[in-house]
Amino acid sequence: MTQLFVERFPDQARLVRLAFFNSFAAFGIGALFGLIQALHRTDVLRIVESPTYYTVLTAHGVFLVITFTIFFLVGLYQWAVTTSLERRPVDMRITKAWYWLMSIGTVIAGITILAGFLDDPPEVLGSQLSADVLFTFYAPLQGNPLFYVGLVLFVVGTWLAGVDWFRTWWAWKGDNPGARIPLPTFMVLTTMIMWYISSIGVAVAILAFILPWSLGLIDSLNPTLTRTLFWYFGHPVVYFWLLPAYLLWYIVLPKLSGGRLFSDPLARVVFILFILLSTPVGIHHQYLDPGIAEGFKYIVMTNTMFLLLPSLLTAFTVVASMEHGARQRGGEGYFGWLDALPWRNPAFTGMALAGLVFAFGGFTGIVNAGMNINYLVHNSAWVPGHIHTQVGTAVALTFMAGSYWLIPQLTGNRLVWRQAALVQVLLWFIGIVFMTNSMYRAGLVGVPRRTAEPQYAFEYDVGVGSMTELDFQLALGGFLLFISAMLFLAIIFMTWRNSESEPIVDGTIPPALSGPEDSPRVLDNLRLWIAIALVLVAIAYVIPLASIVTRGGLFGPDIGPFPVFTDPMILLEYGSKLIGMVVI
Amino acid sequence: MRIHVYERLWLVASMILIVAFIATVTYGTVGLGITMVDDREETLSPGDIDEDERFEDPRIEQVGENEFEAYVVAMTFLFQPDPIEVPANSEVTFYVTSRDVIHSFTVVGTNTNTMVIPGEVSVMTVEFDEPGEYGIICNEYCGVGHHDMEAELIVVEEDEFDLTELSVDAPDTVEPDAEIELTATVSNGLIDDLEATVTVEIGDETFQEDVTVGGDESEDVSITVDADDLGEGDHDWTVTVDDYEETGTVSVASDTDENDDGSENGEDTTDENDASSTVEDRLS
Ligand code: HEM
Ligand SMILES: [Cu+2]
Ligand SMILES: [Cu+2]
Repeated sequence: MTQLFVERFPDQARLVRLAFFNSFAAFGIGALFGLIQALHRTDVLRIVESPTYYTVLTAHGVFLVITFTIFFLVGLYQWAVTTSLERRPVDMRITKAWYWLMSIGTVIAGITILAGFLDDPPEVLGSQLSADVLFTFYAPLQGNPLFYVGLVLFVVGTWLAGVDWFRTWWAWKGDNPGARIPLPTFMVLTTMIMWYISSIGVAVAILAFILPWSLGLIDSLNPTLTRTLFWYFGHPVVYFWLLPAYLLWYIVLPKLSGGRLFSDPLARVVFILFILLSTPVGIHHQYLDPGIAEGFKYIVMTNTMFLLLPSLLTAFTVVASMEHGARQRGGEGYFGWLDALPWRNPAFTGMALAGLVFAFGGFTGIVNAGMNINYLVHNSAWVPGHIHTQVGTAVALTFMAGSYWLIPQLTGNRLVWRQAALVQVLLWFIGIVFMTNSMYRAGLVGVPRRTAEPQYAFEYDVGVGSMTELDFQLALGGFLLFISAMLFLAIIFMTWRNSESEPIVDGTIPPALSGPEDSPRVLDNLRLWIAIALVLVAIAYVIPLASIVTRGGLFGPDIGPFPVFTDPMILLEYGSKLIGMVVI
Repeated sequence: MRIHVYERLWLVASMILIVAFIATVTYGTVGLGITMVDDREETLSPGDIDEDERFEDPRIEQVGENEFEAYVVAMTFLFQPDPIEVPANSEVTFYVTSRDVIHSFTVVGTNTNTMVIPGEVSVMTVEFDEPGEYGIICNEYCGVGHHDMEAELIVVEEDEFDLTELSVDAPDTVEPDAEIELTATVSNGLIDDLEATVTVEIGDETFQEDVTVGGDESEDVSITVDADDLGEGDHDWTVTVDDYEETGTVSVASDTDENDDGSENGEDTTDENDASSTVEDRLS
């Protein structure tokens, strides 16, 4: 058994632990808010007023899909680069800088969102301190400028992290001329290339339009433009969540199964495909948007379908590696080998269940991608159904399972309560089955997402089952997920405190069955892939963006801001104004 | 590059699957000639909605034999008009725009669903075969009252559908020796002629007149009653045309008590009682 990560790189282990700490803190708050939402929507228990529901939902979205996922990503990637290159960052000050930039950004954005709970939020920078704009912050809904400032700092932090990893790699390359990029580092670098290309979109949306507009420096903006720039980033960001989970599936899962990765070359191809195809698809979130021609929507539909390829290839490699592992452990037969897998290991079982849910969720994603069927499900509860199977489970459960394997190596402590950890991953699986079953089916009968009270004057036409039953499943699923989340946090906390122990975990990663020498060197030519990716992005976006700007103008056809307040008095005023308008 | 045979097979199968998906979706859209929400309409600033002839008065209009257009404005937190009534066996093109933030216009449980973005006009054509009632909701978060944003879509029997409007012009007060002149205006928004009977009841008297209102036209029906015949006091009147009804009161009073202090110019008698009814206050 080799030395633990924490022994080889104590300062790196500390940084990874810090990143994971932020990630898990956000996860805890997010899970609590998730439970509040599940109970509120179903009218089981409403502990907040319905207008405040949207403060909860904004925090749920931002804390989970920005803070939880991305802090886990930077922690994991710091670990991956350090172990696979066997070296520390070139300049640890940069490493600290990105960690603190991201943390400060999170705190600023977080405080701004949570201030929405106050009865009378203070005035900051000329407007009320709150940002009930959900994680998509579609203008002309307006949050306090600090919300956008926080997001910008956070994203700049991630950019700097990428620079950090690239520098480590360049330094390594200098010492190892001609060597192939180790697979984990290859995955980190390709993910970051995708991230640089795509996060430009949201950076432009915020810095050029939304932030100056929220500060009152410009009066108007073009909502179709900022929305399109958001989705230019908004689809690739889902791969930013997913790729660290892929890294764990490719690097750690085969080992946990008792074998080796099936094919290193194919893994590289998969990550390259993500660089190429993740970005020129964002308009598929805008199939129902006016102001965008049908032709552009059609192009992204085809691109999106091709984006299935890397995930289908991943399914193959992951299952093949698991089968190889099982056969190494003595498994036999067509399906009999499944028995030989280490199902008692929570890290393995968590990832395997996550993969299973991901496969199912992938099919629901194809439904979303179909530009015709999308009309039926767009913005219905079906969409959070999809979100929770994919990022909420494929990613989140993989991260939790991965933590059971990583945390001992990062702390030097033995994982506590292994049985409970197994229960935890199972509980998550069961919870997600109930919750998403309810969301998918409710979505098909037209129950909307992002709605505090999806109960209206009409009745939903629930073909099979009933609304009561669907609500029950949502509440039950949400409750199980919450319990599972708390159990996870407790296990991690106790493990972190469990310093009187020796971990029983082996951090070595065996080489792939088919190694990098089986693949052409061109796969490692990152410049080439960047160039092709940029061409594809240009093809998919230049004309649509130009058309949006020519139609509506860079700053829009005179669109005023619309700050969101939860203050009941202001609500009343709005109400009376509205009634006034209707009467007239 | 060395690729395992199974990998190769999987790769080929995956590509076939992807191409099949694309083909299916292509057939389901382009093939069936379904048009998507797109950029066919010019942009429209929210500030210009009240000057735009489509949206200044959100409504349904008939544009062809079984073809209608609905001009809908979405705003925090309602839709106009509400309810939206259309006939069965018709093809309705919805034009929807927003006064403020991004909303959606979503007919629950159907694929009639579009984002409504301020500055843009969404267009969707929908066929309604059977009578029925649907909920319309906004499914894009638009602020604190988002969950209250709903409207009704009613598909009525073809022969029960009309776009009739009734408005009545009658005085509030008249001198006992004057005449009461009451004018009912019946307008017909359909293309076909409207055959209707205008019934006016005032005091104990009832008048009836059959009118034919041409497509997209309106007709006035006037009746005159001597105030003397009714006598002093308040008299209710009612005008009905099909399902529409307007009511009001006229007072017959000599210009004494209240108006003693100078306003002898008889202006009171010219005070008009304007009433109009549209779909909203239709009798059921
Ligand atoms: C305790 C576990 C969880 C529960 C009970 C829960 C519950 C919910 C519910 C009920 C909604 C729908 C709200 C609405 O549309 O009105 C929702 C939305 C959402 N959830 Fe979760 N969730 C949980 C965990 C997660 C996790 C782990 C993630 C991602 C890592 C996640 C990401 C999201 C996102 C992105 C949305 C959509 C937010 C929006 O529409 O703005 N959730 N959640
Ligand atoms: Cu997407
Ligand atoms: Cu809304």
